[in-house]
Amino acid sequence: MTEVAIEVKNIHKEFVLLQNKSTTLKQAVVNIVKKNHKTIYKVLDGVNFEINKGDFFGIIGRNGCGKSTLLKLIAGVYEPTAGNIYVHGGLTPFIELGVGFNPELSGRDNVYLNGAMLGFTRKQMTEMYDEIVAFAEIEPFMDQKLKNYSSGMQVRLAFSIAIKAENDILMFDEVLAVGDANFQEKCIKQFQRLKREGKTIVLVTHSMDTVEQFCNRVLLLNSGKVDFIGKPEDAVRRYNELNLIN
Amino acid sequence: MMKYFSVRNRSILKELVRADFKIRYQGSVLGYAWSVLRPLLLFSILYVIFVYIIPLGKGVPHYPVYLLTGVILWNFFSESTIQGLTAVVARGDLIRKIKLPKYLLVFSSTISALINLFFGLVVLLVFALINGVTPSVEWLLLIPLILELVSLSVGISLLLSSLFVKFRDISYIWEVVLQIGFYASAIIFPLSSVPVHLRQWFFLNPVSQVIQDSRYVLATHTSVTMWNTVDAIRFIIPFAMIAAIAIIGGFVFKKRSRTFAEDI
Repeated sequence: MTEVAIEVKNIHKEFVLLQNKSTTLKQAVVNIVKKNHKTIYKVLDGVNFEINKGDFFGIIGRNGCGKSTLLKLIAGVYEPTAGNIYVHGGLTPFIELGVGFNPELSGRDNVYLNGAMLGFTRKQMTEMYDEIVAFAEIEPFMDQKLKNYSSGMQVRLAFSIAIKAENDILMFDEVLAVGDANFQEKCIKQFQRLKREGKTIVLVTHSMDTVEQFCNRVLLLNSGKVDFIGKPEDAVRRYNELNLIN
Repeated sequence: MMKYFSVRNRSILKELVRADFKIRYQGSVLGYAWSVLRPLLLFSILYVIFVYIIPLGKGVPHYPVYLLTGVILWNFFSESTIQGLTAVVARGDLIRKIKLPKYLLVFSSTISALINLFFGLVVLLVFALINGVTPSVEWLLLIPLILELVSLSVGISLLLSSLFVKFRDISYIWEVVLQIGFYASAIIFPLSSVPVHLRQWFFLNPVSQVIQDSRYVLATHTSVTMWNTVDAIRFIIPFAMIAAIAIIGGFVFKKRSRTFAEDI
């Protein structure tokens, strides 16, 4: 019997968009008096699925279909309007790489800062530090301020922290295409290693190649609803059909 | 309580404070020395002005110590609430990308201000000794007094920072409140120069109570304190206010923090 890593049960998410988003007290008062019309924007509308332990799970869909919102809900950044999400095991989400990075601090300080945000203690980060720096291939620059890094170096550092973060479940939002060909090769190897080690990985992406190469199950979202869930080849075919229709 | 200071939360808090401290003196030649130099320079200016040019505190024993005690405590209160007010909005980048206990952002701004207060206090205590104040065990009473002020600052910061997410006017309003508070806390003039019947009104402000008590402890027993101005029942007022603000602040913050990620 397969163990479940993440259960998503009948998730609804609505965002309230005020016609005049009230950011001052005056507007707030005016809104009460005028009964300002709210626009409710439904992003997810009853989404159900399960991710099993050891899955390399892809989430695909066209822009604005609710992929990122779903990821943020699983990560606990947003609270659902209705429904429940159960996560079994430790989860490290990467909605964005390098969360908390500060350009005024050195590369070294940023590794620790980002590590803390991801839930690691200073001691744990010290143990992983050398490996992270070696993977990013930027040893000589670790005492330089981050603002002096090229954008490629920044992304490499951020990605290296992410890939070294050991947890049961890892979630990535569109972060595979970083660095030059050589670095990408290394990243792909790391993904294969994670897969071999039986980690659960959730990946939001627009790259159908990545989906077919890595994923064993894929969820296709369309307008906030589950359109298809199953084998990657079928999901990709369905995704291409959707793109043709619209 | 354990939940609030789990290993993960503690390490986030430490890194936030550390980063804040490092960035503050980033690029300055003297670096961390500024933590001590800043209060020292401020003290010198105030000393010259209020001892030689406008001697407001004539007749108050150890007036310079009396004045500076008020100034550093007030500065802590104003710095921690101003930083606390923007703590949530300023770290919108974090809130939108990771799940993190939002109150840590407020705590980290209070701790940063507390570190500054610590350096200020060190300079102040040295200054007090030079000024001829005899060190006493009473000085330890500063610890509960500062804790009282910290509770007030945290309560206010929680309340304001969560409201600031939606109502950006709060920062301007708070600026005005602080201006009023500066005079309502009798920082630069001694409370003993205020007409007797008006003195009690100053103690509607919890900051005055803390400052006057600290002055009593550190500078002079002639400091007009709450407990020798009003009766025992009214003596509860500042403590009740602080408790109420902390509870309301915590409650509002908890309720609103659920949608911070969407509202910022």
